[in-house]
Amino acid sequence: MEQPAMMEQPVQTETWKARSLEELIRILHRIFAEDKVSVEEVQALMESYESNPEEWLQYAKFDQYRYTRNLVDNGNGKFNLMILCWGEGHGSSIHDHTDSHCFMKILQGNLKETLFEWPEKKGNGEMTKKSERVLRENHCAYINDSIGLHRVENISHTESAVSLHLYSPPFDSCNTFDQRTGHKHKVKMTFYSQFGERTPCGTVVPQENN
Amino acid sequence: MAAGGAAPEPELELELEPEPPRRGPAAEGEDEAAAEAELAAELAARRSAEARRLVLSPRRLSGPLPAGLSQWFPALEVLDVSGTGLAELGAELLALPRLHTLLAKNNRLGGPGSLPKGLGQAPLGRSLRVLNLSGNRFAEVPPALLGLRGLQSLSLGGNRLHGIPPDIQELRSLEFLYLGGNFITSIPPELANLPSLSYLVLCDNKIQSIPPQLAQLHSLRSLSLHNNLLTYLPREILNLVHLEELSLRGNPLVVRFVRDLTYNPPSLQELAGRTIKTRNVPYAPSDLPENLVRYLSLASNCPNPKCGGVYFDSCVRQIKFVDFCGKYRLPLMHYLCSPECSSPCSSASQSSTSQSESDSEDEASVAARRMQKVLLG
Repeated sequence: MEQPAMMEQPVQTETWKARSLEELIRILHRIFAEDKVSVEEVQALMESYESNPEEWLQYAKFDQYRYTRNLVDNGNGKFNLMILCWGEGHGSSIHDHTDSHCFMKILQGNLKETLFEWPEKKGNGEMTKKSERVLRENHCAYINDSIGLHRVENISHTESAVSLHLYSPPFDSCNTFDQRTGHKHKVKMTFYSQFGERTPCGTVVPQENN
Repeated sequence: MAAGGAAPEPELELELEPEPPRRGPAAEGEDEAAAEAELAAELAARRSAEARRLVLSPRRLSGPLPAGLSQWFPALEVLDVSGTGLAELGAELLALPRLHTLLAKNNRLGGPGSLPKGLGQAPLGRSLRVLNLSGNRFAEVPPALLGLRGLQSLSLGGNRLHGIPPDIQELRSLEFLYLGGNFITSIPPELANLPSLSYLVLCDNKIQSIPPQLAQLHSLRSLSLHNNLLTYLPREILNLVHLEELSLRGNPLVVRFVRDLTYNPPSLQELAGRTIKTRNVPYAPSDLPENLVRYLSLASNCPNPKCGGVYFDSCVRQIKFVDFCGKYRLPLMHYLCSPECSSPCSSASQSSTSQSESDSEDEASVAARRMQKVLLG
């Protein structure tokens, strides 16, 4: 599937305003139909959508034990748009993004993002933290493999969090990294639900979250 | 935890509007009393024999909940008073026979009268399944709630707890226990007596060690230990074969092999006892003083299957990496009978037979190779 080239500079000076989740998806389809797509444009578009729980509640399925990935739209193969639900204390491992672009917008609550350097080739020591920040509601963050690796966590013990993610091109596997050693481990990613329907997959692989 | 999903039917759920702005300055006592009376009047006016959910947040409450609650909403199943500033939950709750979910997070609960007395004996004691007290000011787990025999889910995240009472084992139905974000320093072994516990969150505390008894929590599916002060985990954790989630980051877990930390040489009594046990020297109770007969019965077997030795009190702590469910690398604490006795972790390790220095180096390189295989495989 032909993927549009993602550019760091804006392709056009248009500023989109998505007034609903449906409109956001429509505009995304339009943008990704082009040959060239601007990272800034997508980030600004995602940020322009003011989160309205009524519009996404049907996708927000929580799991007691860990965060969930709920597919919202598969972007005609150009991108995956999904909603992630994080219970109190839920977090991801350190992971990469398989050469894709990743946009992450907070719909509810707050998420802490910790950036890490890629470990050395023969690395056998603690991974290096680059920076950390707390992302607030409606903010949209961006990352790709050249920027680094990250861990995302809901550090609240009282509030759950919901985030909207766009990945282009779509990918279903990535590497997770052990913070203590830098060793990586390929994992397959699955969806907890798709288009609002719960989609249980086979046996769950045990997850170490370190 | 947020449920997400279809909205409940409107006529069965009541949400109060945020309170109207205050009229003007008045004596504070008057204001509070007036506000309480207003709330009582409002709730009484909306009384319903069918309403199943009542959500009072984000209304700020100046006083306790009105006493008439159970009369006005006898069918209440879910009560959400989160973020209302409540400092106490009183007897008005006890007469709600159908209440199964009580959400009271982000309030000012924590003082002595926070929960009503007789909680365990009231109908609520059997009906309550979910209790969320996160984001309050509890410095200890309130004893009143330990009588909630039907409780399945308890959250005390983000409070000021310094410990967990052994009587936590009274909560026989507990499946979900969230204690993250407190100041807990240790875990009572009695926690392991909860037969249905499947989700245990202890992250963001000050825990220095895990009691080996936790391995008895056979139904545990998720264990959250990140951001604590753990330097090692007991080997019994290997027994938690149903564990699907385990978080350990942010602990000062030992990464390398550590040589013998301390070694107290065995006493003559211990050496004699070992000889008797390993050589099967026969003895009868009439041959020995009672205390020695008892002592001999306390022999433990060395965990090293190749050793076959026994020990009584002398042991060596050796901190090693061991695979866990074939995927994880954890430093575990092994009690071994002597420094010569190094336990090979699996049949893959060939090197260990005897003697210290070279032994542990061989083991180190063998284990390092295995470590790479496990993590990159």
